[in-house]
Amino acid sequence: MVTTIDRSVEGRRIESESATDLAFRKIRDQANIRWRELTAGDNPWFRVGFGASGQAAGAQAIYDALMPFGQMGSGDITLSKVGPRGLMYLEPTLEVTVPGGNTVIHANVAPEMVGAIMAHYAGDRDATTLHPSAVARVGKRDSYTDHLPRWRELPANHLQTKVLTRNFGAIDPHDILQYIASGGYSALHKALASMTPGEVLDEVKSSGLRGRGGAAFPTGLKWSFLAPSDAPVKYVLCNCEEGDPGAFNDKGILEADPHLLLEGLILNGYATRSTHGVVFIRQGHDLPIDATRDAIDQAYEMGLLGTNILDSDFSFEAEVSLTGDSYVAGEETAMMEAIEGKRSTPRFKPPFPAAAGLWQKPTNINNVKTLSYVPSIVRDGAEEFKKTGTESSSGTALVCLSGKIARPGLYEVAMGTTIRQVLEDIGGGPAEGSERIKVLQTGGPLGGVMGEEAFDTEIDFDAMAEVGCILGSGGIIVGDEKTDIVDLIRNLVAFNQFESCGKCFPCRLGNTHMLDVLDRMCKNESRSGDLELMEKVGTNMKIGSLCGHGQLGYNPISSAMAYFGEEFRQRLNGELLPSGSLGDGIMMMPSRTRPVGQGG
Amino acid sequence: MSEAIQFTIDGQTVDAKPGETILQAALSAGIYIPYLCYFPNMKPYGACRTCVVDTEANGRKMTVASCTATPTPDMAVETKNESVSELRRGIIEMLMSEHPHGCLTCHRIELCGPQDLCQRHVDVTDRCTICPKNERCELKDTVRLVELDLRTPLNYNRRELPIHADDPLYDRDYNLCIVCARCVRVCDEVRGDVALTLVERSGVSLVGTSHGTSLMESGCEFCGACIDVCPTGALVERDYKWEKAKKQVTTVCTNCPVGCEMVAEVNKFDKIIRFRGSVDGPSNRGQACFKGKFGYDYPNHKTRLRRAFARQDGIVRDVELTEAFASAAEKLEGFKPEEVAVIAAPRGSNEDHYIAQKFARVALSTNNVDTGMNLYPEIRERLEGRWEGLDTGQSIWDIEESGSILVLCANPTEAQNVLAIPIKRAARNGAHLVVIDSRETELTRYAAVWLRPKVGTEHLLVMGLVRALVDGAREDADFIDAHVDGLSELKASLWEYDLRRIAQACGLAVGDIAAAAAELSSGTTLSALLGSDQPSPDNRVALVDAVMNLKLACGSIGGIGNGIYALYEGGNGAGAKRVGCNPLKSDIETIERFSKTWGIEPPENQGLGVLEMFDAMRDGSIKAAVILSDGLALQDGGYGDVDAALANLDCLVVSSLFDTDLTRRADVVFPATAYTETTATVTNLENRVQLMRRAWEPRRDQLTGWQVLSGIANAMDATGFDFADAGAVYDEIADTVESLSGTSHETLDRESFMATRAKSDGEVGRYRFEVMKPDYESVFGSDGLVLALGRVLHQPDREITLGTRNYLNVIDRVEAINLHRDDARRYGISDGDRVEVVDYRGESCVSGRANVNGGVPGMVFATTLFAELGTFIEECESPDPAPLVPALSLRSVDVKLSAP
Repeated sequence: MVTTIDRSVEGRRIESESATDLAFRKIRDQANIRWRELTAGDNPWFRVGFGASGQAAGAQAIYDALMPFGQMGSGDITLSKVGPRGLMYLEPTLEVTVPGGNTVIHANVAPEMVGAIMAHYAGDRDATTLHPSAVARVGKRDSYTDHLPRWRELPANHLQTKVLTRNFGAIDPHDILQYIASGGYSALHKALASMTPGEVLDEVKSSGLRGRGGAAFPTGLKWSFLAPSDAPVKYVLCNCEEGDPGAFNDKGILEADPHLLLEGLILNGYATRSTHGVVFIRQGHDLPIDATRDAIDQAYEMGLLGTNILDSDFSFEAEVSLTGDSYVAGEETAMMEAIEGKRSTPRFKPPFPAAAGLWQKPTNINNVKTLSYVPSIVRDGAEEFKKTGTESSSGTALVCLSGKIARPGLYEVAMGTTIRQVLEDIGGGPAEGSERIKVLQTGGPLGGVMGEEAFDTEIDFDAMAEVGCILGSGGIIVGDEKTDIVDLIRNLVAFNQFESCGKCFPCRLGNTHMLDVLDRMCKNESRSGDLELMEKVGTNMKIGSLCGHGQLGYNPISSAMAYFGEEFRQRLNGELLPSGSLGDGIMMMPSRTRPVGQGG
Repeated sequence: MSEAIQFTIDGQTVDAKPGETILQAALSAGIYIPYLCYFPNMKPYGACRTCVVDTEANGRKMTVASCTATPTPDMAVETKNESVSELRRGIIEMLMSEHPHGCLTCHRIELCGPQDLCQRHVDVTDRCTICPKNERCELKDTVRLVELDLRTPLNYNRRELPIHADDPLYDRDYNLCIVCARCVRVCDEVRGDVALTLVERSGVSLVGTSHGTSLMESGCEFCGACIDVCPTGALVERDYKWEKAKKQVTTVCTNCPVGCEMVAEVNKFDKIIRFRGSVDGPSNRGQACFKGKFGYDYPNHKTRLRRAFARQDGIVRDVELTEAFASAAEKLEGFKPEEVAVIAAPRGSNEDHYIAQKFARVALSTNNVDTGMNLYPEIRERLEGRWEGLDTGQSIWDIEESGSILVLCANPTEAQNVLAIPIKRAARNGAHLVVIDSRETELTRYAAVWLRPKVGTEHLLVMGLVRALVDGAREDADFIDAHVDGLSELKASLWEYDLRRIAQACGLAVGDIAAAAAELSSGTTLSALLGSDQPSPDNRVALVDAVMNLKLACGSIGGIGNGIYALYEGGNGAGAKRVGCNPLKSDIETIERFSKTWGIEPPENQGLGVLEMFDAMRDGSIKAAVILSDGLALQDGGYGDVDAALANLDCLVVSSLFDTDLTRRADVVFPATAYTETTATVTNLENRVQLMRRAWEPRRDQLTGWQVLSGIANAMDATGFDFADAGAVYDEIADTVESLSGTSHETLDRESFMATRAKSDGEVGRYRFEVMKPDYESVFGSDGLVLALGRVLHQPDREITLGTRNYLNVIDRVEAINLHRDDARRYGISDGDRVEVVDYRGESCVSGRANVNGGVPGMVFATTLFAELGTFIEECESPDPAPLVPALSLRSVDVKLSAP
């Protein structure tokens, strides 16, 4: 549906104030009723953590085991699937809110525990009957939960600053009313009722928000390229391709709180006076896809999308579009090709998307996280947002810890927190059976690796870049002393080679040849000059490639050479490290890759 | 018009036109930057990165791909500095690791000639010398230019893929492919066919067809555009695959009226070995078609005639030319003017046609002269007569700028192939395309509205469109006020064009007619393509009038995108008309001008057109004929029973390339020259005059048409037939024909010439609507069935099985024969029956399974696949297959059950 924008938005404030307020109040009243039903009704409210990590840990079995307990002495229990809490080492989790408002979190629940847990809630609920799987409580003190630590005092939690993950696990992502009850869409209401698009844009600009997709481009500046255009159709796109191994924060947001993104997207549309939004999700990310589609449907029902949102004169359409099975589809121009139904290969720039993007119309592309910050910026103001973070990087960072770490999970920390704090205070140090953390792989396979000497780096776009890494997607894969660096790098390059779209020659061929060399090294068959060869190929890719995939393709090797150059040189000398083994399971080598030297 | 952008490349000041990339500006300034994925007339792609350059503008230094970057004023570009050269070398070095390059990195590279056999240095599959594109390979040139180090640390990987050699006309060897995607892009962007695609990705990305099918199934139209753009030996023509060109000659294809400028490659034995579209060709912009690209090599054929022969006392014997001339002259002198006819060759030049009519009028004193493919003269007659001055002579590429396009009874995809490209491109860019044709053709698939009327009702339908326009008040009132008279008379006449009645007569729905009218009037400009593919001459005249009424009503006259294109058969129909090779009286002014030049009184009677000539031969009123037969398809050209006509002649003089049925009936035969031995001019359907250039000298006694006729004329003692060469003939034409004055072979060698010019908006004059009356009666009465056989690139909805014949893929498919219920009942056919459609001669047109699904009463529809034409060219036994490609003419047919 094509909608035209009313250019006379400046005068809108007075005209539609009451109508917009009224429309939003109706929705909020509805949401509050719903929330009271859930938390203060007659039935306890059971929530199973049902993100991808929860499912992997067996959440479905817990859910199935809970189904028969539909009837408890006093009536039905309310059973919901919720998104991940972020502390994934606790999965599968079960949260129970009893009428009256006290919440207990059970962790690492197994199906056979369900009977014992239920017995507690069906009975008198005292400390002796509480199942030992309970690890934390949320809310006020209660006799039987007194011995439990508060949720936010858990070691993995106390250092976190929750902006994006505020609602994680607390609300059902498929219920818009729960999001609204927890303060959702009030930023949109505020913007439509009392701010002009220009004011929203200024707020985002002065917040200092920078793009979380990897390039860290100032978001407000990007939006201001699109805003002046008077084209009748303008697009704002949200990029949730998130194909980086070890990154699960975009998906996490969509699994746990899709309306947060949707509100941000609508605000993006309002600030740039755009008409259409597309959330682009990689095919196969089923939970985020379902959650986002549901969210969009519900928002249309509530009048938060479509023509005249909240009875204002702003109209905006949104939909979900899916990629094929391609990593490069996350590159912004390739993404537009994919949405247009073509082979997802990057376009050359200029023209930039703000001039000619999707369907050759003016377009903005933002990452899921970037857009998800916008509601809080608009609601609480830029100043409030800037209180968190550092001078050059405001706000928080989502980090995904995985690999050889004691407490893997999705955590949100203020910018400026050091990596060591994240690893030790939040992550709890090396995993059981590991002695020390030797290497981190950050920012996806095009990011790089860092060694121990860089662990005191602050998480901050510029500080990370200084040590040769990027924050990028926020994934941090932890390797312990047994990790073979050359093999790790080979895995990264194999991924990059496999995911190269094959369009520009330097990336298509360069990745193949770098992988060829790394393959040789891992087989202890290196030739003299191999390091120089990789450097030459890598430099050519960096200067010569069409898009970031090739330009950053040498990053893993160059950063590894900086921290672990000795291991490469040892390979050249024919010394296979005693700790080394091929394919140690940190990353899976894609099976269809054709290493160049092996023919066919 | 914005200013040119001035910047420097390697210190040299260069001007770029607005929108031009650095690479384009450099190439036009004569500075070479190596490139592999860029190709003229295609959008920049930016994949190969060999065109990288360093730029510095406003103090900012960047390394960019010059094929995608546009210059800014005062930018300094460096193309050869160390860092750029190093990067370029690095990329090419990696590229060579996937491409057989043994010879390139062999130390004997400077010693080995193309024909040398290598005993030991390089694997046989890795040699350049066994590559079909050796020494004309862009990749090899680039490798040499960047001075690649012959030693590389990179591992070499040969893909070891099978060669695709089972589709007609060309071979695909993807072991040599560098994945520059030029072929994919030309097929998509330029041709609009999308038969090719990129498959897979990363190190294994490659070119292929979707789902890996054969080209036969992929929707390929075998135009060969992908071969012409391929920078390596991956795509090559199968014929003369390994031949090396000694020279290249730019000439013009005469297979159809588009007049594509082609580059002919000639080997050292003076054989033409390749024919490819010239990128600078004004009418084709580098494009060609299956007929032009692959039906070019007939001049090479070993059965070419080299000597004249004459029949004396029933015995045929070789004669010297003087004797042949004398013999022909002597024979022709015995007939009265009304008993002789001259038919010029459809592929003949302007010079041939001019001398043909001069010969007829001066030496034989007859107006019985025509060009051999002038089968439907009415359309041009009417356009140049009643609608004089509106035949705009626009470039076919202006169609791309049209808002709306009407294609009437024409199948340009096959008959004027390159003409279909701008139509398809315009349609893809959102132009409103309306196709009126009872056949399903490729263009019907691009059409916003396809109207499929009963044959013979097309003019009614177009007047119906006018009616619908006027009813909806969608006519361009301002334009009509300023330029057109007779609106009230037209409106008064329109009441008889009742839409319901028209719809009934055409077998259409009223809504469809209204929808088509809406599409046509929604563009700001309207191009009309008037084909002749419909049976009745009267209808054709009415059709022209109706279309011109429509164009006037839409205000679509003058300016770009408002062209009217009359499509006809034969390579030089427009030229023939312009130089007077035409029997009709309406050209009397031209003839009179000629007469003044010649100093004789021209014959005043109305001459016979080519179709009438054959009728007259059969009834005996024409007793002698001179036929120049190059490109004439007598047996399937709609001339009726040709053998009976020829057998009835007392004297037949023929100029022919080959010994054919025609020469066997002839009394005197002259060996003809083909385009390869001719320097002469032709005129295409845009009225563009272009120069064909000789590739080699004629062999022995071979003569061009004008030489034959001049020789005979001189033997008959006629004056004015002494010409030194074709240039002299052309000079006489240019002196006499006003629209060609000032041109000569010298000027045409430099640049083609448009004999008519499109009117600019300001030059539009005054016109009058043609008031007509509908004739519903004549279209109702028709009995019998008409076959509207269509052809499309592919029908993904229909199942294909692929067979093999002579090691080549062939399509094996049961065709669907669509019949109306009533007709089916009349012929005793039920749904699903195996039926055969036969023409009046009893020859099978198409067979398949009956589909009694409604359709139009009196019509039989069937649709076959285009790829079969590729097979036809490949397998045709005749040395000259292009004129024999089966056309989709509408035919009266019978339908019968197939023998079980």
